[in-house]
Amino acid sequence: MMSWMNIELNLLILLPAFSAPIILILDRINEKLRKIFVILSASLSLYFVTALFFANFTDIKKGSFFLQYTFDYFGGPFIINFSMDNLSLFFSLLISMAVFLIIIYSTSYIKYNKAKYYALFFLVAASIQGSVLTADLFTMYLFIEGITVFTTPLISFKKTEKTTEAAMQYLYYGIIGGVFFFISIILIYFNLGTLKIAETALGFSEISGPMQLTIIIFFLLSLIIKLGIFPIHFWLPKAHSACPAPVSALLSGVLLKVYLYIFMRIFWTMISFDYLIELHISTFIMDLALVSSLLGHIFALQEDDFKKMLAYSSIGHIGMILAVLMLNNQAAFYGAMLHIAAHLMMKSGLFLSSGYLLRTAGSHHIDELEGIGHKNRITFGAFVIICLGTIGMPPLLGFVSKWYILLAFLKGKHFFAALVTVLGSLIALFYYLRYISKAYAEVSPELKSASWSADFAELLHFLKGDQLMSTIVYVFTLLIIFFGFSFQYFDMPVNTAIIELLNPQKYIDLVLGG
Amino acid sequence: MHKNFKNITAVVVFILMGIAFYENFQLMPAYKGLGEGVSDYIIRSGLSETGSLNLITAVLYDYRAFDSLGESTVIFGAVSGIVLILSRKMLPVSSRGLSFIVKRTLGIITPFIALFSIYVITHGHLTPGGGFQGGVIFAAISIIFSIVYGSAFDYRRYSPQMKTAFETVGALTFLGLGIAGIFMEGYFLHNLGFLTAETGTLISAGSIPYINMGVGLKVGAGLAIIFYSMIQKTFKEEI
Amino acid sequence: MFINAVFIILFLLGFYALIVKKNLIKMVIGLNLMEAAVFFWVISFSDIGGEVAIHKLNEAAVNFNDPVPQALTLTGIVIGASTAALLLTLIIELNKFTDTIDRDEIEGLNN
Repeated sequence: MMSWMNIELNLLILLPAFSAPIILILDRINEKLRKIFVILSASLSLYFVTALFFANFTDIKKGSFFLQYTFDYFGGPFIINFSMDNLSLFFSLLISMAVFLIIIYSTSYIKYNKAKYYALFFLVAASIQGSVLTADLFTMYLFIEGITVFTTPLISFKKTEKTTEAAMQYLYYGIIGGVFFFISIILIYFNLGTLKIAETALGFSEISGPMQLTIIIFFLLSLIIKLGIFPIHFWLPKAHSACPAPVSALLSGVLLKVYLYIFMRIFWTMISFDYLIELHISTFIMDLALVSSLLGHIFALQEDDFKKMLAYSSIGHIGMILAVLMLNNQAAFYGAMLHIAAHLMMKSGLFLSSGYLLRTAGSHHIDELEGIGHKNRITFGAFVIICLGTIGMPPLLGFVSKWYILLAFLKGKHFFAALVTVLGSLIALFYYLRYISKAYAEVSPELKSASWSADFAELLHFLKGDQLMSTIVYVFTLLIIFFGFSFQYFDMPVNTAIIELLNPQKYIDLVLGG
Repeated sequence: MHKNFKNITAVVVFILMGIAFYENFQLMPAYKGLGEGVSDYIIRSGLSETGSLNLITAVLYDYRAFDSLGESTVIFGAVSGIVLILSRKMLPVSSRGLSFIVKRTLGIITPFIALFSIYVITHGHLTPGGGFQGGVIFAAISIIFSIVYGSAFDYRRYSPQMKTAFETVGALTFLGLGIAGIFMEGYFLHNLGFLTAETGTLISAGSIPYINMGVGLKVGAGLAIIFYSMIQKTFKEEI
Repeated sequence: MFINAVFIILFLLGFYALIVKKNLIKMVIGLNLMEAAVFFWVISFSDIGGEVAIHKLNEAAVNFNDPVPQALTLTGIVIGASTAALLLTLIIELNKFTDTIDRDEIEGLNN
């Protein structure tokens, strides 16, 4: 009887999922109780992942870390299983951290419809954890559909015409992506009779060639739609800019990384990457991703709406990560993983600070931001630091990750890709500077805040009211500065995660043997 | 002219795509059943392990019970999302409804519809059917009432709170049985052995009938909530 | 094979409605048609000429069809229903702002 073994994996998904109805019930009883429960539940999820990390620290360091939870009958084959290897752990840790900070931020940002907001937010968090942990294709499809269904109401949370249109477009493309994913899964089932990722990986070579191509193409179409790569990208800036700031941070900072994780799981662990090279798809995706990256940055340059500009910049960064993943070697993976972590922190930080700026300026348009740099100086200073990190200024984390990506491109002799990376950074410098220079424009003295000492005095009340929001922004800023100087702390988790990508056979053996 | 050109291009592209897909799908080997693997295992030992005659129900609520749980969570999320999205702007409602004959007939057949839905839910492990199907029939009752008696009807009889309570009870039943599975059988959502009775009787198949009831309640209440949120209940009536 | 032809025709009809039609409700119908085509194909393809996978009392097991695709389809149908409900809700909500369901007349949906 191994019933209690690895039950944490199950709990990581179930805890947020069943926080949602409890939040709705508690809200009827007492609002304060609900607030406490929200924070408690969010911190418990974070605690479980970190506890898992520290409890298995030696295993992780050796690269032999593996947990599995199966729903099975004794003797029979198990049907559904969750598994956690180094790659999933890396993503799970990052995601739990970001989700926890975003929820704390929301407690002071969201002013109405709170109970429903948190319920949906926790459901999204559960789906995210689920899609990272699951080792079953159909369960993964279910979680992806869950993400689409639960985020749509959050996007149209403000209930204006613009947000409703954005949510509708998001949902249309989400459903189409889901249908394509379902077709691929069902083709795999009819050809191999299994839905487990590990068994599919073992048997994939037995499928006939054209069928392999069909499966790969439907998976690719689905994930390209979800990731917002160039030809089908136009829903992304609308959706990511329409919603409240914490939801933007969740969509742009966290969700895109989850889809990248699913991309890796499918195209490295399940379908061996050699098929993509053999069918010449990998070079095609790389070109597409590079074009997408360049276009994202260029569109960001001409965008006058602050949040839309950030969303276009996300397209640029995701395109770059996808392009570098296509190189399929150790150096490329290192840069990509580091940039995934960096982009998660930076974009979440930027979107969260955009929410704080909205409170002060009243609008996201560039003209309204005039002189905002003089108002809340410290928060805006933090914001500028995150901007510099996104552009890739040393010694921040964004520089380190971009540097490794550049090195990987140069090592692989992809000079066009290297050019796009550098050019992207240069364009990014221009579009961030546009906003920063506007914010520091000289304005009449009454618009400025009183003095520096008053600003610092405000810092002391870092948990009170609106100040909590800027505290979260500071946390992200400090993370970026800290890891910029000491990015070698990422070495161990990133390198062990790369082992999983380079050696998918290990995952297959562990799932089927354990 | 220009518009026609666009349409014709689209049609031609679609026909070409269709031919390409058709050629590709023709390459699929005909499905002969697997003879091995999971589905064969379920066909062979599904009855003895779960006690459910209906193997599809056995897959849904036992072997892949986690998927069904996720699916009901998706419905739950969709319901709260729809309630969140729809704003308070009122649409006119009517309490006039259809003619007297239709109303009387509905009154006569309603108990039978309810009975049928309960039959479909409770016999989910014996005959075709189950929680989802029965729940949809159950939700249909309240939708038919709103059509026949006018859209103002349901609000006076059943408040949204009651439906939400039904939905929560259904969800908690599912979850509670899942957690009981951990403590009594060792795995989350494992079939509860002590509930099993003689195969073929109404209360056999372990926890499957109870999960069916929970899901039925949840789906019925959820769909009714979705429908009534869409037609926008108000107290302002148009006669 | 007949099933494949029907599947592809239905799927592409749905896709055509989704891309070419200007009416938002017709787009939803197109989406549902796509999903329905996939589900139809799954069910009919998994039919190997056996019986539905439901045992009969006091009778030996016969040649059953695979129960797993049917269960997956059931799950897929429910998810399709909830997404369609969400989409229709958004259309109702959008109609309150714009008083139209024509895609061309709603500025935010044109790219």
